[in-house]
Amino acid sequence: MSVVTLVARDELRMMVRNRVAMIGLALLMLLTLTAVLSAWMYQRGVSELRARHAHAAESTFDAQPDRHPHRMVHYGSFIFRPLGPLAAFDPGVDAFTGSSMFLEGHRQNTANFGDVRQSSPLIRFGQLTPAFILQAVAPLLLVFLGYGSLARETERGTLRMLILQGVARGKIVTGKLLALGLVALIAGMPAMIGLAAIAVRQDTPALPVLTIAAGYAAYLALWAVLIVLISAWVRRSRDALLVLVAIWAVSTILLPRAAAGLADAEIPLANRLQTDVAIGRDLRAIGDSHNPDDPHFAAFKRSVLDRYGVSRIEDLPINYKGVVALEGERLTSSLFDHYAAKSFAAQARQNAMVDLAGLLSPAIALRAMSMAAAGTDLDGHRRFLEQAEAYRYALVQRLNSMQAQDVSYLDDMATDPGADRRKRVSAANWQEIPDFRFAAPDGATLTAAALPSLIMVLAWLAVALAMLALVTRKLGLRR
Amino acid sequence: MPNIDPILISDLTLDYGGGDLVLDGLSLAVPAGSITALLGGNGAGKSTTLAALLGFARPRSGAITVCGIDPVMDPDLARRRMAYLPENVALYEHLTAMENAEYLLALSGERVPVAGIEDALAAAALQKRAWHQRLGGFSKGMRQKVAIAVALLREVPVLLLDEPTSGLDPRATADFNQLLIEVRARGAAVLMVTHDLLSAADIADRIAFLEAGRVAYEVAASGAERFDVRGLHARFQLTAERLAA
Repeated sequence: MSVVTLVARDELRMMVRNRVAMIGLALLMLLTLTAVLSAWMYQRGVSELRARHAHAAESTFDAQPDRHPHRMVHYGSFIFRPLGPLAAFDPGVDAFTGSSMFLEGHRQNTANFGDVRQSSPLIRFGQLTPAFILQAVAPLLLVFLGYGSLARETERGTLRMLILQGVARGKIVTGKLLALGLVALIAGMPAMIGLAAIAVRQDTPALPVLTIAAGYAAYLALWAVLIVLISAWVRRSRDALLVLVAIWAVSTILLPRAAAGLADAEIPLANRLQTDVAIGRDLRAIGDSHNPDDPHFAAFKRSVLDRYGVSRIEDLPINYKGVVALEGERLTSSLFDHYAAKSFAAQARQNAMVDLAGLLSPAIALRAMSMAAAGTDLDGHRRFLEQAEAYRYALVQRLNSMQAQDVSYLDDMATDPGADRRKRVSAANWQEIPDFRFAAPDGATLTAAALPSLIMVLAWLAVALAMLALVTRKLGLRR
Repeated sequence: MPNIDPILISDLTLDYGGGDLVLDGLSLAVPAGSITALLGGNGAGKSTTLAALLGFARPRSGAITVCGIDPVMDPDLARRRMAYLPENVALYEHLTAMENAEYLLALSGERVPVAGIEDALAAAALQKRAWHQRLGGFSKGMRQKVAIAVALLREVPVLLLDEPTSGLDPRATADFNQLLIEVRARGAAVLMVTHDLLSAADIADRIAFLEAGRVAYEVAASGAERFDVRGLHARFQLTAERLAA
C-alpha cells in the first residue's frame, strides 16, 4: 500500500471511529436523499399542475362562442412557464419570478404567482433542494470532518512523527486530501445519483447534466483543498475550525446576499408602479387614436387612405378600426419592448455585478453555473418572458387582423339591435390560433451559458491547489 | 567507499534566526555499534543537535551527515536511515498500540509481521492486555514503550534518543537499557540525549558534554573500565554552574 493510501486510510479510520462524524455524514446523506425525492416530487407536481392549468386556459379560450375579435383581445389567455427537468435539481429563480402570465391586448403583464410571494419568509433562506445542500450544507460537513486533518497532527506532534518515518510532506498532504475527497464524493453521491435519475427519466440533454456534475465535483474538491490548506497553515485545530467556519459563513451566506443587495442598490430597477406611470406618460405622447386631431393618428389615417386610394374611411376595403387597433398595438408593444429591454439590461448589469462577486466567493460562481445549466436562471426566465411577449403580440395582432378583415367598418360602427351579432366572427377562429408552447433551450445553449461560471470555479480550485502546494513546503517547520 | 561513521558532525554552527548561535562549532562522530550519550545543561544545544540530524533545523555552516546523507539536502532519505524516540511521544489516540506500530512501520516502508510487532511490544515491556487497546487511556510510560517498540523494529543504522527513559519506571528503564545494548550489538549507532548521568555511564561507550553549542568535554569508556561517575558528575555540575552564571 502506498504512503498516500496509508495516510488516507488512517484519516478515514479516524473519521469512522468518531461517532459524531459518522452521524453527521449519515444525516447529510439522508438530507440529500430527502431533498432529491421531495424536489423531484415537487417538480413533477408543479409541472403537472401548470400543464393542467395551461390546458384548461387553452380549452376555455378555444371554447369561446362567436365574438367580436376585440372582445377576445381583452378576454386574453393565461399561459404557464413549464419547469425544465433540471429544475428538480436546482429550481433557481423559479420560486421568485412567477410562473403564470395573463396575455391581453394593450398591456404587457408580468409573471405572477411565484412561490415565495405566497409562502412564509423562511423559503427565502434557502429551499431544501439538492443544489442548496451541495452548495451550503455539504461544505460545512466537510469543514467539521476535515478541519483537524493536519492541524490536529501538528498540535499533537504526530505530524513530526509521520515526517520522521521518512514520509514526504507532499504525500502526507495528498493522503489527507484523498481522504477528505472521498468523503466529499460520498457526501455528493446521493445528489449526483438524483441528478442522473432526473436526467435519465426525463430525457434531459447530457451536456448540461455533465456540466452540473463537473461544477459540483469541482466545488466540493475546492472545499476539500481549502480545508486541508487551512488545516496545514494554522497550528491549532481550534483555529482551523474558526477560520474555516468564517470562510464558509462569508462565502456561502454573507457574500451572495451582500452581492445581490449591493447590485440592487447600485443598479436600481424601476418597480411596477414606476414603469406603469412612465409607460402611461409615453403612451399619451404617442397619441390618442380616438382623438381626430391627434397628429400621429391623423397622419396614419391619411397614409391608410392614400394607400387604398380613397378619401373616406367608409370606402376602405378593410375595417379601419381594426387597422387602428393593429397600429395601436404595434406602438404600445414597441413601448413595452423598450421598457422591458431597459429592465432586462439593468437586470443583466446586476447579474454581471453578482457574477463578478464570484471572484470573492466560489459559492456565487457555482450558483450561477448551476442555475444557468439547469435553465432556471434569470436568462431562463427572460427567455420565457420574451417568448410570451412574442406570442401575446402575435395573438393580439391576429385578432386585430380578424377585426380588420372579417368585420366591416359599417357593422363595427353600427348600433342597431342586430349589429352586435353582425360584428361577431366564428368561434372556429379561436381554435385555429396555435397554443403557447415554450421552446426550451438546447443543451449546448445551456452549457455555453454555464461555462464562464464553471471556469471560475475551476480557477478557484487551481488557485487553492497552488496555495496548498506552497503551504505544504513549510508544513511541520517551526514558525 | 570510505568507512564513514553513521553520525558525523563537523564544525557545525546553527542559529534560529535571532543571530545568537545555538550550535557553535559542534563536532561529533558516533561510530557504528556504539552508544554516545550527549549531556549538557539547558540551552547547551542538545535538542538542536538532534533537530539538525533530523533535518528540522538548517545549519549556517559546517557539515552534517547521517550514513553519508546530508539531512539538509535530502531529509526524507536521511530519515529513512534513522529512528527517533522523543521525550514526549506523540502517537495516535484513536489507534491501538498494535495499530500505531503497524501504521508507523508501514509508513517507513518496513514490513513487519504481526508476530514481530508483538515480540517488540513484549520486549518493550508493554503489558499484553494493552496491545489492542486504544492509546487514549495510556500513561506516558506506556506510550513510550510503544514508541520504543516502533523505533527498535525499524532496524535502522542510526537511533536518536531524547530523554528516552523520562517516563519509565526503574524496571522499565533497566529493560530499555538492555534493549539499547542489543541494538548496539546489531551494529547501530546510538546518540542519546539525557540528563541521567548514571544511566548514561551504565550503557554508553562515550559521553560528550555540550557547553554553549559545542562539545566541551568528551570521554570514552575503555574496555571493561567504565566511567568515573563521581568525576563526571563533578564536571557536569561545574559546566551547569558556569552556564547558569
